[in-house]
Amino acid sequence: MVEENAIVQLKKLSKRFDQDQDVLSDIDLEVKEGEFISFVGPSGCGKSTLLRMLAGLTSVSEGALLIDGATPTEPRDDLYLVFQEANLLPWARVRENVELPMKLQGKPKITRQAVADAIVELVGLQDAADRFPRQLSGGMKMRVSIARALSVSPRILLLDEPFGALDAITRNQLNEDLLKIREKDPFTAFFVTHSVAEAVFLSTRIVVLESNPGRIADIIDVPHSYPRTVEFRESPEYFDLLARTSKSLRQQKGESE
Amino acid sequence: MLAGEIIKHNKTGSLSEEQADNIRRVILPYPTEIWQATVQERSNLFPAAYNTLKAAIIGFLSAIGIGLGLAILLSSSKALKRSLYPWILVIQTIPIIILAPIIAIWLKQGAHSVAVVSFLISFFPIVANTTMGLTSTDKNLLELFAVSKASMLQEILFLRFPYALPHFLSGVKIAAVLAPIGAIAGDIFVGTSAGGQGGIGFLAILYKGDVNTPALYACAALACLMGFLFVGLVNYVQWLLLHNWHESSLDGEA
Ligand SMILES: Nc1ncnc2c1ncn2[C@@H]1O[C@H](COP(=O)(O)OP(=O)(O)OP(=O)(O)O)[C@@H](O)[C@H]1O
Ligand SMILES: [Mg+2]
Repeated sequence: MVEENAIVQLKKLSKRFDQDQDVLSDIDLEVKEGEFISFVGPSGCGKSTLLRMLAGLTSVSEGALLIDGATPTEPRDDLYLVFQEANLLPWARVRENVELPMKLQGKPKITRQAVADAIVELVGLQDAADRFPRQLSGGMKMRVSIARALSVSPRILLLDEPFGALDAITRNQLNEDLLKIREKDPFTAFFVTHSVAEAVFLSTRIVVLESNPGRIADIIDVPHSYPRTVEFRESPEYFDLLARTSKSLRQQKGESE
Repeated sequence: MLAGEIIKHNKTGSLSEEQADNIRRVILPYPTEIWQATVQERSNLFPAAYNTLKAAIIGFLSAIGIGLGLAILLSSSKALKRSLYPWILVIQTIPIIILAPIIAIWLKQGAHSVAVVSFLISFFPIVANTTMGLTSTDKNLLELFAVSKASMLQEILFLRFPYALPHFLSGVKIAAVLAPIGAIAGDIFVGTSAGGQGGIGFLAILYKGDVNTPALYACAALACLMGFLFVGLVNYVQWLLLHNWHESSLDGEA
């Protein structure tokens, strides 16, 4: 039954808090290894809640959430979350922040340093490795946060509006960098965003959610192959997808208001 | 008031120059007179200051140790907090004047009781501040640790403690001011002068009896010095631990 390379399966997944109405309802989604799934939808439709369920931070109310065909019973080593805020330890230098997940996993210092050095370079922060978070710009902090998540080479990376607080130029740059990193160090991504442009540029599929309760309203395929470069951003295909996704999203917003 | 009287008397000429000067010395001695008294009384003042310092250090260190321990207990469970906190408050709200005789009855007069009073007066700010720090850990950082499968111990060592450090240190700084005060108050209420154990508080009572105001001011100066020493030390440690990252210790630039 389980398709060979389905890494995550959501089956009639529902979520409610307390006795309230469903926040998420009947979510059916099958994701293959290596996909890049973006979630867009009105504020409050349950995007963060969905990621938190995938991360094991909150329970599933109904239906099933399968990773590698099984219901996860504890946080997984091969899954990591990037939060909306960079969420760095203020008392730790960049390098120490990047090493944190490995330190918590009990990896020896030598391994940690080697991996951290490589990843800090991958995200272009080698000159800032010994700085404290307060000495970094918003974009740099986000790079550290991503480097930290990559340090455990996750197979699944959850990103909850990671670039939401950044300006458009920095955001575009980080989008391109994120894809470059993924070329070198592949992972399956679940990416929440409010930016349709970002979703189109990054994803293999865009899941449009409606709210009250949160349901899948539309799934838009982005067939363009990787690596994606700036040219993709200027192609008619890109603008077409942008228009389709925006329209779909607008319909959801309209209904919920 | 009194000063006004003197001036009045002086103006009417009812006091001789020397009498007036004697009265002035009792009320407000010159710094030079305080210095002279310090030199004159040094064989009493310095051993007393040493005794007080010793009691204050013991009281201060116990306040740090026990205060930290209590804060960890209080922050580890709501039930524990609800059952323990009122008792800590009880101790803190009984005026030392009333608590001191009880301590004297339980522990007898002596240097150890002085240290206990110093501890009792200074530990509460450490408990209150550290508990606050330990229980206000950033929720997002806690989730980060949960996603990273951190153990309870790792969470405490690598997240809760460093996060509470600035709170803890500001509690310690208040305690640094209070510990010498406690040692001097303790000296008066539960101290003993037997075997040269008397402290500054004890001396102050003697000097008051002798109407030796310059020496009293010398006692006050020594008490201040001790407080400054304690706070200075804490400030230095605070700078060492926080200057790299905490807002409170950032010097504008950088
Ligand atoms: N711990 C919780 N307890 C109760 N209700 C919650 C909890 N967490 C989220 N909710 C509710 O679930 C709904 C979805 O929240 P969620 O944070 O997932 O939305 P979102 O799609 O991420 O929104 P945004 O785009 O604004 O970040 C909201 O109505 C919110 O009030
Ligand atoms: Mg959200």
